[in-house]
Amino acid sequence: MIAELALTLLLLLSPLALGQTQIHQFQYQTDEQFHEELVVRPLASDHVNTYFQFTTRWHGVHKNLYHTQLTPRVIAEILQTYDVKELHIGLTQGLWRYETWGYPIVEATGGAELWAWFSSPNLTDDSVNKQWMRLANVFSGILCASLNFVDNTNSIAPKHIFRPQFMASGNRSHQFVRYATLPREIVCTENLTPWKKLLPCGSASGLATLLNSGYIHNTKYHSLGVKVRTLCDSDDPSNCLVELTQTANLVYDLKLLEQSNTDFSLRRLFGMGLNGYCEMASSSKIYVQLNEQGERFQLTPTPLEEVLSTVGGHNVLFGVYDIQQQFEGPGARLFNIAWIGPKGNSKREHTSPPPLYAHRYLLGNGQKHGRIATEVTNTHYEPLPVVLMELVPWYVHAYLHTLRISSKPQHLHEYTSNELKFSLLHYAPGKQRELPTHLEIGFMLPARSSALITIEVDYLLLKWLEYPPDANHGHYIGSAVIGSQLPIGRNYTALPLEGYLFQDSFNASQTAYTLTLRTEALIVSLPTPDFSMPYNVICLACTVVALAFGPIHSVATKLIIVERQTTIPRNLLRKVVHKLTTRFSQAIHQYCCQ
Amino acid sequence: MLHKALLLVLAIIQINAAEYDTSILPEAYIDAAQHSTHTNNWAVLVDASRFWFNYRHVANVLSIYRSVKRLGIPDSQIILMIADDMACNARNPRPGQVYNNANQHINVYGDDVEVDYRGYEVTVENFVRLLTGRTQNGTARSKKLLSDAGSNVLIYLTGHGGDGFLKFQDSEEITSQELADGIQQMWEKKRYNELFFMVDTCQAASLYEKFTSPNVLAVASSLVGEDSLSHHVDPSIGVYMIDRYTYYALEFLEKVQPFSKRTIGEFLQVCPKRVCISTVGVRKDLYRRDPQKVPITDFFGAIRPTRVSTDRINVTLADEEDFYTDFDHMPPKKQFKIVIQPQFIAKINK
Repeated sequence: MIAELALTLLLLLSPLALGQTQIHQFQYQTDEQFHEELVVRPLASDHVNTYFQFTTRWHGVHKNLYHTQLTPRVIAEILQTYDVKELHIGLTQGLWRYETWGYPIVEATGGAELWAWFSSPNLTDDSVNKQWMRLANVFSGILCASLNFVDNTNSIAPKHIFRPQFMASGNRSHQFVRYATLPREIVCTENLTPWKKLLPCGSASGLATLLNSGYIHNTKYHSLGVKVRTLCDSDDPSNCLVELTQTANLVYDLKLLEQSNTDFSLRRLFGMGLNGYCEMASSSKIYVQLNEQGERFQLTPTPLEEVLSTVGGHNVLFGVYDIQQQFEGPGARLFNIAWIGPKGNSKREHTSPPPLYAHRYLLGNGQKHGRIATEVTNTHYEPLPVVLMELVPWYVHAYLHTLRISSKPQHLHEYTSNELKFSLLHYAPGKQRELPTHLEIGFMLPARSSALITIEVDYLLLKWLEYPPDANHGHYIGSAVIGSQLPIGRNYTALPLEGYLFQDSFNASQTAYTLTLRTEALIVSLPTPDFSMPYNVICLACTVVALAFGPIHSVATKLIIVERQTTIPRNLLRKVVHKLTTRFSQAIHQYCCQ
Repeated sequence: MLHKALLLVLAIIQINAAEYDTSILPEAYIDAAQHSTHTNNWAVLVDASRFWFNYRHVANVLSIYRSVKRLGIPDSQIILMIADDMACNARNPRPGQVYNNANQHINVYGDDVEVDYRGYEVTVENFVRLLTGRTQNGTARSKKLLSDAGSNVLIYLTGHGGDGFLKFQDSEEITSQELADGIQQMWEKKRYNELFFMVDTCQAASLYEKFTSPNVLAVASSLVGEDSLSHHVDPSIGVYMIDRYTYYALEFLEKVQPFSKRTIGEFLQVCPKRVCISTVGVRKDLYRRDPQKVPITDFFGAIRPTRVSTDRINVTLADEEDFYTDFDHMPPKKQFKIVIQPQFIAKINK
């Protein structure tokens, strides 16, 4: 009995002892790893792109997803409860300008965008619809965004654009995807706060301390992202990996930071330098792109090492800082990197646009009908395959028979009646108040040309209560998603799907680079009634009734007596005389007739 | 024995409260704590106005949010409803910042803010569902008011109001009868222990006229027939920054610390007629305690009364397996090759 007691005591104490060693060799013993990275890339025309990526990878026991250490429990539980294998949520403010800035590391559209893959043996379409709505509701609470407005009236199941990025053992027929976008969402500190709370170190230490709300909202483009995916071994379904990637993509305009146009530093961008690294992190690194259009920036302090990354024939030079090494010794200090641009060179080289980019706009005038136009431009010397996905909400009625694609060579300005052949890959017509219109079109875009895809639309008149409180702002049509495959890696910075860190994109040449571009979102003015009309009508009607009633009443109830027309003199003396004479004549009349 | 335990508790409180001013809690407080039914605090803060010219209503509600959070109520127990976005609005010259003062004294938006209902979600229906607890299926947990019979709830409403109603987002109204009904339902469902109802709108006193539920203390920034006025204009944003009543309330609350001895009675005196121009209305008849003896942290903070117990308590130990994972005995996870399906599968003929 005493031996048993001693044994239980030993068993109880051993994890404590193990825990002690755990703290020192955290990254070697546990199956959960956390990495933080910051990438700084100067863009054309005095813009700087800073990209934060926080990756948590958990290779562990998946019978029970509740015992998390670094992965936030709320994310891990959701995977189990809603059969989600892959989830992407993006909250963005601003527009990514492809022509001048190239391609972002992570694509996102303005407002909120979310899509998810569900996979489980017992799933049907209906149950996926319900789970999708519940998932959106849960995330509206986690990220403090109005994602609860996502429901079946604005979600679609994309067929060709968002392919699975997860690995799950399971039949393809049990995999379902849903996509929705809410272009009206704003991103502010209220979304950043809960997003930071999902990180292992929160906002207390590490690279997340740089994300100060006063500084990062003064940017031209600002995007927060959460991406979760599950990777399972095809031989052994219980051997699974859960990967959570949180990204923050910012583009600063240096002219707005009120000092020189070409020099900047971490402190100017974020308000403070770094004061440490996250203790839970296995690696904490800063990557700086050193060459931009043939010019090199001077960096202080100099990077630890320089890496030349060749992707698809294009070279990019990165300088690497290892924050864990910087803060190895004792003592508190602030770490700051300063860039000094080349002086005396005010003229920058003309930036060449990326191989493929797109714009979207509305044609037509009036509030009855118009045309949605998407323009895709190929600046590459080879033709490119393009898949265009459009999600047109139910309050805009799109006519499929008016879908046209016209093309023109890049150097011309006008679109001729030259039509491109396209294949309609998928069409799900919309239904008023129930479903949005879902269109996926594929075509080959010839080399060095632009294509204009137009479809005619009608704007519907909504019921009175369906208008939002600020109805005159307009209604949004979300952005189109354009998928393509590039043969070259120019401007391409996205992470390869087999890897998970930014450093996995170094020298990661592939046969083809998949792109999903986003365009602008559109605002349409649906015919909006004048909501003050009932009040005005009541006032007007009541006034008219009152004005009409008074005289009619008086005419109907009073007797009109015509007065004999006599010549009544005008001035006072004559009036008095006239009165006396009439009295006198009346008196005589009375006297004589009695 | 009890005295010794009490002294121990006092000593612990003293050590913890070393940085604050008051170090000895009055005996009357401990006495009240032993007999109170108050166990936790919730706050429901609502801004019902949209559009840039109603900037001051957002600044109002954020001022109260800031005070309530500073005095200890956690975000999980604060429901914040803001109908429009001012901080990241394109018209705001200082993105991410909302100030209570043209001299930018306090950034009431701050760096750590969680808004539960925002934009189009701030409707009368959602507010009444929140109060009564009848939220729709699937509503996120942070959007529910999960108060119980021991909760002291603070409700703060601001926006445009009139005699008997409060306007939500320029398109609908909540009437004082609906508010009274909602609070009566809360009482019947035992969703509050005591309720402090604050309103900062024009003719605000009309909103609490119909209350009949017990343990409700209400304060309004103006009486029926009076308008609540705003404080001052900031030329750089072009609109009024904050309302008078909330400006002076914030000034009062900024001086309150978590262990303060200030009372609700003092808070009810804030903003006299010479600064507020409107008369502050108070409804005390439904409240059984004397406001002069109720600490302000009963509603604005989250100070829990502690009770010292000398009873024996049975504790059941949990299973050991739930608490440690045996790293040595687990088989190492096999690394496997990651193969992702091709991402572009559309076959488009050239």
